[in-house]
Parts: sequence; structure tokens; C-alpha cells
Amino acid sequence: MNESVTRPAFAHSPGLQPGPKMFSDLAPLTDAVTLSVDGQPVRARAGETVAACLLRAGVPYNRLTPVSGAPRLPYCMIGHCFECLVEIDGIGNRQACLTLVRDGMKVRRQDGAPPALEPSVP
Amino acid sequence: MSINAPLPDADVIIVGCGPAGMAAAVTLAEAGRSVIVLDMQPAPGGQIFRSLEANLCDTSPAGQSLLAALGPAYRAGADLIRRFRAFSGACPGIDYRPQTTVWEVRPDGTVGWLQGMNAGYVRGRQVLLAHGAMERPVPFPGWTLPGVMTAGAVQTLLKAGHLKPSGRIVLAGTGPLLLLLANQLHQLGVKPALVGRTDRLSDSVRAARHLRPGGLVPLVKGLGWLGRLKLAGVKSVTGLENLAAHGTQNVESVSFTVGGKRQTLPCDLLIVHDGIVPAIDIPNAAGLRLQWDGPNASWRPATTPDGLGASTLPPEMSAGPCVLRVTGDARRIGGADAAMAHGRVAAQAILAALDHGAGPSADALRAVGKALSVRPFLDAAFPPGLAQALPDDDTIVCRCEELTAGELREKIRSGFRNMDALRGETRCGMGPCQGRSCMVTAARLLQNETRAAGCPPTFRGRPPIRPIPLGAVATLSGLDPRATIRLTLEDKPENASEDTVDAPAE
Repeated sequence: MNESVTRPAFAHSPGLQPGPKMFSDLAPLTDAVTLSVDGQPVRARAGETVAACLLRAGVPYNRLTPVSGAPRLPYCMIGHCFECLVEIDGIGNRQACLTLVRDGMKVRRQDGAPPALEPSVP
Repeated sequence: MSINAPLPDADVIIVGCGPAGMAAAVTLAEAGRSVIVLDMQPAPGGQIFRSLEANLCDTSPAGQSLLAALGPAYRAGADLIRRFRAFSGACPGIDYRPQTTVWEVRPDGTVGWLQGMNAGYVRGRQVLLAHGAMERPVPFPGWTLPGVMTAGAVQTLLKAGHLKPSGRIVLAGTGPLLLLLANQLHQLGVKPALVGRTDRLSDSVRAARHLRPGGLVPLVKGLGWLGRLKLAGVKSVTGLENLAAHGTQNVESVSFTVGGKRQTLPCDLLIVHDGIVPAIDIPNAAGLRLQWDGPNASWRPATTPDGLGASTLPPEMSAGPCVLRVTGDARRIGGADAAMAHGRVAAQAILAALDHGAGPSADALRAVGKALSVRPFLDAAFPPGLAQALPDDDTIVCRCEELTAGELREKIRSGFRNMDALRGETRCGMGPCQGRSCMVTAARLLQNETRAAGCPPTFRGRPPIRPIPLGAVATLSGLDPRATIRLTLEDKPENASEDTVDAPAE
């Protein structure tokens, strides 16, 4: 399968191309951990969720929908809407709003419907 | 050889660790009963007391100003969380299992759980569903764009992420939570560009006749919020209609109608809220009877005053009487005080069912009535606004499958005139959220097109109601040996049918 068709845009993009900054910290990060989002190091507050970390980082989307490729960000933050789905440590469709960050965690944004058997690229 | 039924893992399994679940768990543990509490979140408190323990320990100036902004209603959960923690780990006591999702509940007390990559079943002699509420789904043009979030989501980011919104912020909708959030943001130095309320003065006037003495405190609180926002110079409108969010990759502007005039505002973050409704995903999939709550325009489980649900499953599909009770906002929207009061009532009823105690005390029942007495006023003052009118044909109803109201209307008109047929034909409700966001709108569209009345129909809910990794299914623990059939390679159909396969036509 053509790589550029199944994984366009962010897999090849050099950075995370921040969207409009919708959230800012109440106080500077202390006690931070570092995870990787699409291979880029991103700092997070220990004990927060992956969804909060992505919104602080200002990613323009955490997934593109499998139906139309439309961008989505977390919507409800309490586990009901499933908009915040991302790949975490190689397992797809994890709810970012219910998953706590961990140092060294590997998060990948989802690009439509991922081919089920394709090995995850670290 | 006879196979025995599995023994119960606990006297009571409680789903959800918010005010109702914690209050019930503490009451049961005090009476010496064993309790398992399953909760999605990492710490006790539910949505209202989210991250309260951690935030109380935060002595930094930013932590202190956050606590001040979240107010006394947030800190009020501290005592209950402390009592809950005192019983967790004790034996018998509360076996608290955080970060655990529930993907199946059966009327006989069997509960399917998932924690990380481990899954299984646990059984309780009684089960209490205290899984809480969700924000009312509000389909409007552009509601799927990045930059549209619910008020609850923004509050969660404040409490658990220490993140405050920035940029041009518009709040739209109705209900106490919208005004509360606007005030909290203001206290943290965030000034929204607009608070647009769908409710009108006439709603408040109509609501006044529902005012009971118990409603005076919330009324004074609400007027205080409004007054502070006005003093701060936050622009506010009432009677907002026809909200739409515009943009291609994210929200760039919002438009709406007020007093017949269309207005457009630049916007980076649109925060919407249209009141909260009981989460019915678990009760619906468990086969509990639901009823329509007219004043709150939502489903809720049909229960006795002490929370006992009624199974709609035929007797042959259930191994005994229904042992499911529902409490807190999952049973009926009432807020934290009502949830704690009813959690105690439900626990007392459970103790009676376990041959211990005389059932709910008059005091406990009175406390529920008192806490709920303010609801008729709030329901009338903040009627559903954003979700009141059915969406236009171009508006997305099912966020997961990106189906519009027009597509659903067309299918209904062409003959898919019940919820499951509509789901099978369109995939509406089949995506990851399993209908949590679209079901009520699909049901209302169906009723509208078929001119039906009464309780709107639901999708038939089937487990797993939340995604569960195949690896976890492969190693499920706690299976019922009576219901387990082990297939071997010899049982594979191609082995058995080899002789009867027709020779290929050459």
C-alpha cells in the first residue's frame, strides 16, 4: 500500500505544527514528565491525562476521522465522546482523557482508520 | 458432573466513585459488608470532586487560587473522600479499583471490567450503579470542529490539568454549570468574550412558582454569579438561538441569533453546555427499563424510590431476580447533595436485601426529598436550549460516523422506522462512542418523522459497551464455568464438514 496515502501529513511533518493556543498553564510546569507525541518530546504534568497534555501542547488535532479525515480534539474529557482516541504505546483507539501520562510513553495521533495489522513505527 | 455457580466476589459491587458511589460504599462498609468499587477515574470524587485530594495538597499560590476559584462546593467533598479512603484496603471493607471501565452489567449482578490490558467478570450479590451523568448532546452546525468543547470538559481541564482556556472564548448554552464556569474563569483572570444564554427572563419568571425554601440558596448563589459577571464587564445575552461554529481546521468564529438579529463573533474556543442528563449507557445495555423525564428532556432508569431497577429481559435470559440499583445523577439529576443522600438510601436498601437492617430510614429519604426539591425550579429556569429544536438536515448527528440529520431523516422516510433498523442501515450509533452522543437525537428524529409519542425508543445496547482489547478478551478472568464452552481444533467446522463439501465444479 502506498505509504503516502495511508499516512499523510503529520507522520512526515518535522514538528507538531501547533494549532491556535486554546489552553495555558495556571503555573509553570514543575514535576514534569516527558512523553513522545509522533516522535516529538512533549512535557506533561505528572498525574495528568494524555488529553490534557495534548491540549497544553496545542496539537491541532489528536485524530483524523476514519470517515472523512476531519480533524478532532477532545470534546467531553470524561470518557463519553471517544473523540480523544490516540495510539498509546502501540495500541490504537485508547481514550486519551482516561489515560494518565507516564515518562517515556509513546503517543501517536491517529490518521483515519489505521491498517489493523501494520506494525507500529516507534 | 455438575458445575457450581461461581461464588460472589463481594456483597456489593458499586460502579462509579463520585458522591453517590462513595456515600453508599461508606454506609455499606460501616455495616461490615464487602464492597468492590469500580471507577474510570484515577482518584475518588467523580466529576464534581475531580482531583480534589491532589488539589488540597497543592500549597503553591497557583494551587491556592485554583481552590479559591473552584469554591466551597468543590472542597465539600473532602470529608467523604477521607471516609472512603479510610475503608479502602480494610478487610472487610472497600476494594477500590480506579482506572477501571465497565463494559457489561447483567441483572443477576455480574459485572464485566477492564483495567489496562486485564479484563474479567466480578459478581456481587447486589450491584449499585452510581456512574453519574453526562452533558446533554447538542448537535449544531460545526460542533465537531476542534475548538468546540463542553463546559464540563473545560472544568475537568481546570481541576485535573491545571489548564485555563486562553484566546477568544465564547460560552453558549444554559444551566447552572455554564454560569459557574464563567465565574470560575473570571476568578482565574480569564475574561470570556461572551456568555450567551439560551434561557430567557420568561423562563425565570415561569420557574419562580416552583421555588421552594430549599431553592433559595442556589438562587442566591446564581444571582451572585450573574452579578459578578456583570460587574466584571463580561458581555452577556439571553435568548440565544441557532448557534453555529465556523472554520475549516478549527473554530474561527461563531454565529447566533438574538432577538431576531444574526451576529458573528471571532472565536478560538467555544464552550457549550445544555444541562446534564443521566448516563444511560450501562442501564440500557443491562436491559433495565427506561422512562422519559419530561422536565429534564432525558431518559432515566425506571426505579423504585430506593433505586431498584426493573429488568426488561425475558426470564430465560436472566438467572434470577434483578439485583441492580441505580443511584445519584445516574438515576435522576440532582447534584452532589442529592447524590450523597440517595447513595445512603440505596445502601440502606441493599443492606435490607442482604438481610441486614430495616431498609431506608425516614431521615435518609427526607434528605433526598429536600435535596431534590430545588430541581423543578432549575428545570424550569434552564430548559434545554441548544438541543431544543431538532437539527437542520446538514448538521452532523452521529459524530463518530459523521451522519447528518438529513441522512437519518431520509432513511427513516424510506422505511427504517425503528432504532435498530436505522442503526443497522446507517451505522448511526455503531462508532466508538456507541450512541452516547447521537442516540437521543436519532430517537427524536425517528419520533418526529413517524409522529410517535411517549418514551423515545433506544438502540438495543449490547456488551461490550466500551472497546476492550482482544488481548484482554483472550485472558478474561472470572468466567462462569457453566456458560463456558471450550472449543478445540477438532471442533472446527472445516474438520467436521470435510466429507460433505461439494467437489468444486471444474
